[in-house]
Amino acid sequence: MGDVIKTASLTKFYGKTRGVEGLTMRVPAGAVYGFLGPNGAGKTTTIRCLLGMLKPTSGTAEVLGERVSLDGTGLRRRIGYVAGEVRLYDKETGRWHLDYVAGFRGGRGRLAEDLIERFVFDPSKRVKELSKGNKQKLALILGMAHDPELLILDEPTSGLDPLNQETVYRLLDERVAAGRTVFLSSHVLSEVERVCDRVGIIRAGRLVAEESVQALLGKRLREIEVRFGQPTEAELLAGLPGVDNVTVVGGDVLKARVKGDAVDAVLKRLATRHVVDVQMQRASLEDVFLEHYREGRAAREPDPMGGEAR
Amino acid sequence: MNLTLLRATAHRNRASAFWFTVGLVLYSWLMVWLYPVFSQGEYQELLERMPQEIIAVFGGQDLGFDTLGGFMQTEYLGLMWMLIVCSAVIVYAAQSFAGEIGDGTMEFALSQPVSRLSYAITKAAGLVGYALLLSAATFVPIQVFGPRYEVEIEATVFLQLFAFGAMFMLAVGGFAMLLSSVFRSAGRAGAIAAGVLVTLWTADLVSNVSEAAEVFDPINVVSHWQPGKMINGEAIPAGSWWLYGMLAAVTLAGAVVIFTRRDVA
Repeated sequence: MGDVIKTASLTKFYGKTRGVEGLTMRVPAGAVYGFLGPNGAGKTTTIRCLLGMLKPTSGTAEVLGERVSLDGTGLRRRIGYVAGEVRLYDKETGRWHLDYVAGFRGGRGRLAEDLIERFVFDPSKRVKELSKGNKQKLALILGMAHDPELLILDEPTSGLDPLNQETVYRLLDERVAAGRTVFLSSHVLSEVERVCDRVGIIRAGRLVAEESVQALLGKRLREIEVRFGQPTEAELLAGLPGVDNVTVVGGDVLKARVKGDAVDAVLKRLATRHVVDVQMQRASLEDVFLEHYREGRAAREPDPMGGEAR
Repeated sequence: MNLTLLRATAHRNRASAFWFTVGLVLYSWLMVWLYPVFSQGEYQELLERMPQEIIAVFGGQDLGFDTLGGFMQTEYLGLMWMLIVCSAVIVYAAQSFAGEIGDGTMEFALSQPVSRLSYAITKAAGLVGYALLLSAATFVPIQVFGPRYEVEIEATVFLQLFAFGAMFMLAVGGFAMLLSSVFRSAGRAGAIAAGVLVTLWTADLVSNVSEAAEVFDPINVVSHWQPGKMINGEAIPAGSWWLYGMLAAVTLAGAVVIFTRRDVA
């Protein structure tokens, strides 16, 4: 299967403000692709470019084999989209919105009713009467009801309780099992780790990492804890690249954080002493994510939390 | 044009359209009801005692007040009607693009399989329908209720009024829609449209009492709005029809073109 989303040097500036810059990425068919980044990193700008709502300053985007244009009606027929900030018509009911969308898409299928049941959603209420979570449910139902080939979700579980979050995750699993592709933007790292096969990390408008979740976690940080048969000191690991946060606890337990490619050198250095016990814990996606941002700061790049772009 | 979008647009504007329509129907009815009373000599004398500048404010300087055209222009169509219908079409037009972008609902609408061209044409078609509705709400009651009060307008004059009124609204609404296609806020688009209209109205007013502002007359949509003359049987210059028609066509086409090329989120 080919790539469902392809971008080449995709760049969008709002005047002088950077939205996304030189973004090149590929999302394979049948994947749940997590698009990670803090607020202002350029996630929503990228999504809006993919949907033809924003005209890129330069570069190209291709979705489902079609070049994205501002007037891509055929493409939008095959895409389901749930915006990060759900904005619907406040005075209209959920049922009205379902009929509205069905009018564009040639009728409402059984999936819409199924989703309403699974989210335990009451479509008779006006949007202005709905809680944030229920608005999010309605947006998810509207985005998924036509069983799109590609589902683009911007913070899909925002405002949902854990039970409904789990419903979303199950639905995504089902969609992917049915051969659909999901492009999910999020800064909820546990969610990405739970549902995504691959992740792309965007920082200050640029893609700084893109690989499978497993590979990313496997290659990256580990928390290592070693008990020695004799007192030890933090300097034991001195001079090794990719090692930091070295501490000694109780005189004979050494703790450190080790990057994936430094593990071999660390184990060889540790083996110079009498080791009683070793525990190595793989880092969470959150650690990986933060590591990328620390690197960004170290390189004196703009503060990713500074909200430079949309 | 997209019928789903057109139905949804009509549905979401139903309350304001209803109240504007009811208001205009009642206002028109009231005017033909009152005309026989006000066309008596006392009213004429009262108006003649008023300063010409005040009469000009209400657009009645060129017309005899004892005539139906003069009465309708001064009391209704010259100022109050313009305020009512311009409010209606400017609000609709400003909301069409800028309002939806500002509210964030454009993102939802354009994530559906509807082309921007179709979206924009549908919104413009909605404006045409709205202008026709408001024009009908203004002039049909005059035709329907008028004979009860011995107020009669020839059918050809009625049709001209209906068409000219709709054209005036399309010229104003088209301009507001053009602004709406440029901005991200309905408030800004509407305020600028209203500001330009007030400026034109002021220029028209000044030109009635001074030659200083007559330079605007050829393109001033307010100056060309002379329904009283039409009611009195005078022909409206072809230039007025052309002005409204061209302004409506150019601004609506411009709004469609700009909307199909702009960022909408």
